[in-house]
Amino acid sequence: MVKATLRGGLCAGLMMAALSSASAQVLEIGMDAGPTGLDPHLITAFPSFMVVNGNIYEGLTAVDKDLKVGPGLAESWTVSPDGKTYTFKLRQNVKFHDGAAMTADDVVSTIRRVQSKDMASPLASRLAAVETATAVDPQTVELKLKEPSAPLLASIATIAIVPKSVETNKDALQKAPVGTGPFKFQEWQPNGFILLSKHDGYWGAGSPKLSGLKFNIVPESATRQVGLTNGQYALLPNIDAATALQLKGKPGVKLGETLDLAYTLIGLNTSKPPFDNPKVREAVNYAINRQEIVDAALFGAGVPGGPLSPALKNWAVDVAQFACYKPDPAKAQALLKEAGVAMPVAVTMNVLPRQDVKDIAQVVQEQLNKAGFKVELKNQEQGQFIQDWRNSNFDMFASINAGSPDPDDYFYRTFRTGGSTNVFKYSDAEIDKLLDGARTMQDQAARKAAYDEVQKKLACSGPVAHLAYGTLFSAMRDKLQGYDVMPNRSLGTLRGASLTP
Amino acid sequence: MNRALLTRLFDLLIVLFGVSIIVFLMIRMIPGDAVAIMLGANTEITAERMAELKSRVGLDRPIIEQYLIWAGSALRGDLGTSLWTGRPVATEILIHLWPTLELTFLALLFGAGLAVPVGCLMAQLRGGAADVAMRVGAIAGLTIPSFWLGIVLIVVLAQVAPGFASLGYVPFSEDPVGNLQRMLLPSFALALPILANLSRLVRSAMLDALGQDYIRTARAKGVSERRVVYKHALRNALIPFITSVGIMTGYLLGGAIVVEQVFAIPGLGRLILGAIAERNYPLIQSTILVVTAGFVLVNFIVDALYIVIDPRVRA
Amino acid sequence: MRALHRNKLLAFAVAFVALQIILALGAPIIAPYDPMAQSVIARLKGPTAAHWLGTDQLGRDVLARILYGYRTSLIACLLSVGAALVLGGALGLLAAYYRGWLDRIIMRVMDVLFAFPVMLLAIGIIAVLGPQTYSASIAIAVVYTPIFARLLRGPALVLCESEYVAGARAIGASDARIIFLHILPNLASVILVQTSLLLSAAILVEASLSFLGLGTQPPTPSLGLMLSEGRNFLMLSPWSALFAGFAILFLSFGFNLLGDALRDTLDPRLRGQP
Repeated sequence: MVKATLRGGLCAGLMMAALSSASAQVLEIGMDAGPTGLDPHLITAFPSFMVVNGNIYEGLTAVDKDLKVGPGLAESWTVSPDGKTYTFKLRQNVKFHDGAAMTADDVVSTIRRVQSKDMASPLASRLAAVETATAVDPQTVELKLKEPSAPLLASIATIAIVPKSVETNKDALQKAPVGTGPFKFQEWQPNGFILLSKHDGYWGAGSPKLSGLKFNIVPESATRQVGLTNGQYALLPNIDAATALQLKGKPGVKLGETLDLAYTLIGLNTSKPPFDNPKVREAVNYAINRQEIVDAALFGAGVPGGPLSPALKNWAVDVAQFACYKPDPAKAQALLKEAGVAMPVAVTMNVLPRQDVKDIAQVVQEQLNKAGFKVELKNQEQGQFIQDWRNSNFDMFASINAGSPDPDDYFYRTFRTGGSTNVFKYSDAEIDKLLDGARTMQDQAARKAAYDEVQKKLACSGPVAHLAYGTLFSAMRDKLQGYDVMPNRSLGTLRGASLTP
Repeated sequence: MNRALLTRLFDLLIVLFGVSIIVFLMIRMIPGDAVAIMLGANTEITAERMAELKSRVGLDRPIIEQYLIWAGSALRGDLGTSLWTGRPVATEILIHLWPTLELTFLALLFGAGLAVPVGCLMAQLRGGAADVAMRVGAIAGLTIPSFWLGIVLIVVLAQVAPGFASLGYVPFSEDPVGNLQRMLLPSFALALPILANLSRLVRSAMLDALGQDYIRTARAKGVSERRVVYKHALRNALIPFITSVGIMTGYLLGGAIVVEQVFAIPGLGRLILGAIAERNYPLIQSTILVVTAGFVLVNFIVDALYIVIDPRVRA
Repeated sequence: MRALHRNKLLAFAVAFVALQIILALGAPIIAPYDPMAQSVIARLKGPTAAHWLGTDQLGRDVLARILYGYRTSLIACLLSVGAALVLGGALGLLAAYYRGWLDRIIMRVMDVLFAFPVMLLAIGIIAVLGPQTYSASIAIAVVYTPIFARLLRGPALVLCESEYVAGARAIGASDARIIFLHILPNLASVILVQTSLLLSAAILVEASLSFLGLGTQPPTPSLGLMLSEGRNFLMLSPWSALFAGFAILFLSFGFNLLGDALRDTLDPRLRGQP
């Protein structure tokens, strides 16, 4: 019996060896969750984003690993002096996976698709400034804006160009995506794996080097880790610090890291007591010890964060400039007294169901309780959390949000009076004025000054206590070369990656 | 006999009808607006998007009409489409069915196959310390959390034999050895409680039977001990054995949900958990309906077998 | 000789379960630390003199959390199985006593609920309720109600037909009196045995649900939850998950052994049946 098993194992080992030499260049990736769909204009979840972004689809512009905007499917562009007309020159020889050439018509229909009420794409707001898109010639697209839009080039990086034939089709791309990216869709076994293969007609010379990507869906963390250490998987992308720590130093395994664009936050409902009082919100900020959160919940891998991620080097204000970021429970208590609220201040905190957020919520609960609050945690099922979030049905909540490369995308919808994700019902005339102004500014320095002002104002008495930006890790086998972790969790750098034997 | 079977068949239909109503209502009893919940986190939800989704799922119709449409098409074999991927639910279920079937089959094979010799051994060792030890062992096997056992097995095996621990799933038809290699641990984790349960059953049936008059008669007639045990006593154990296997399918399904999660096997349990996590209500309701219907059918077949095997039940 | 064995086993089972209940009830007194107290510096440590079973990912004492976890799991399971017993038992008795259409309606509804695989129905119910602290308890209660109803209806039917009950009826005893004084006491042994066995199973179901993130929610210490959280840190420190797993095993094992031993003692005819 034992012998038979051993022989079976050996036999399987040989077979695996034989298989692996035949498909040596297929990158085996271990993911915790599978995508819910692959239409780039409809998906919202990270797993879907990681599979499609930069691999299957590309936008007119592209964001690099330092979050700088550069050419994508458009090789160059010009902006009119009034900032209201953008003219994009498309790259030559771009082919969709079905073999058709990509032309200006595809770009125009893509923009119509995202803006269409019928598609109801969650990306529509990113193109809110665009009035018309026209194909000047097969290689030239002109966008006319209603008003100048500073974040436009960053926004359109997230708009994947799709064939014009799917303009009104809501189902086709969800299960069988067609894009221009370096990898094309091959097979999808739900809850099993997604297989992408090399796109032979890809425009980028010499890439991709890999012959395919296989996204294996493995929900259990311990199982993924074992899979990487025994060589079955070659990449565990975008993992948290705890997982990285466990894989650090294992033979044949190396880590890549970058500062995450996503941030953890405590949201405060400013439409009802006690957080309608700015002093109470300030007290929360004084009560929170951000370094302790980083140490406790993020295993020291991260930095205390203000309203913008330090990953956005061009925009973020150094947190040392925010007075309330120096933990001071006594000051918090004093502020609560000043505010005239009954202590301890009893509040409920809704918690997004993710392990890191749950851990952070528990640490924040401890800290706030030491500074005159009495926080009750309400761990919710994801759907319920989202519903309460959307209906502003909360005192406070703990969550994690994906960040954006341009400040406008986050700030405007979140803090502008009536903003589409301003669930805090926050309203401040000065902030509104700054945000409205910065949105249409052409001058980079002036724009930066406006957002500095916004950050300083939001940091201590805004409706969000920003907590921390974690370090984002990827663990991989030594043989994987040329892949960089990106702050926005895109796996787009895999186009340049290869497996050394 | 036909009468007994017909009565049960009638019960079966009533139960299936009841099950369909419960599943249907369950989804609609979700507090708040199910449509709002279906949409993702921290994204902008427009009224258009809500309305579009509502009409796609059919939630904008009167509730009776919704049920009739759903049940009517389910009867015709159309289980609707998955909300996000637009794939037919029937296809999704078929894809996920095989790994679960294989897992349950192997676990049953393991558990039931070993239960007979182990149970016989237990019966022979009755009384004394060995009996107590085996009994305690059996109860421990019954109460060990299978997901915990699974994780411990994975981690331990990764230390002991790193090359052997292959994870995930490959179809048997593609790579038979790799398939069995991957299924070994999960089916073992799942089989342990079955083994514990069935071996105790075999033991008590054997003890019962060995005390019966006809066995004594057989012995007196000089029939060999081996023949006594296997022919007469085991047959006695068959009926409770089959009943238990029927009940076990339910347990196996529940156990499979967590074990599939741990071992990354793309089976029905993962399908349901995933559908719940992504609020894919059409998928949830049809999958629960189909799985429960399957479970009810298995029990019906067990009942029918019972009637065929044991003439006393016919009355 | 064998009777002695049986009683020894029963005594052991009672002692084993009692010990765990005492640990659970006495958690506030026995526990060496506050189960919520965090200490980042002392996180994910193995067993030491200060922390006998080590610490978890937030530096909380594993022993304290296990003791309180016993409490959470026990209360959740006692409540849910108790509720199922009262509700399912009542329905089963009513069905058996009154027969006719009431019997038929009750038992058909029970059949429908019984038709669902346990975990599947529990997961479905939690999908509706959302994973709040008592969702898992409610789900387990609903799932076990038909089991008790079916379990008690059979023996109750036999009792109702008995001369004993017929005699009680003849001397004009009320229905309630008959049910409570004549039928129920005779079912005590069945109830005791099955409750114990189902408690054992309920503990596993609660743990499985917590493991899937659908049961008890943090920061409440619960055994399934400790295992679920601890499994993310297995390679750093397996202790929290390991000990929580053992605690679940011991608790479930204790009740199962108790049920088994009780069955042997109370009803020799049922020996060894699952």
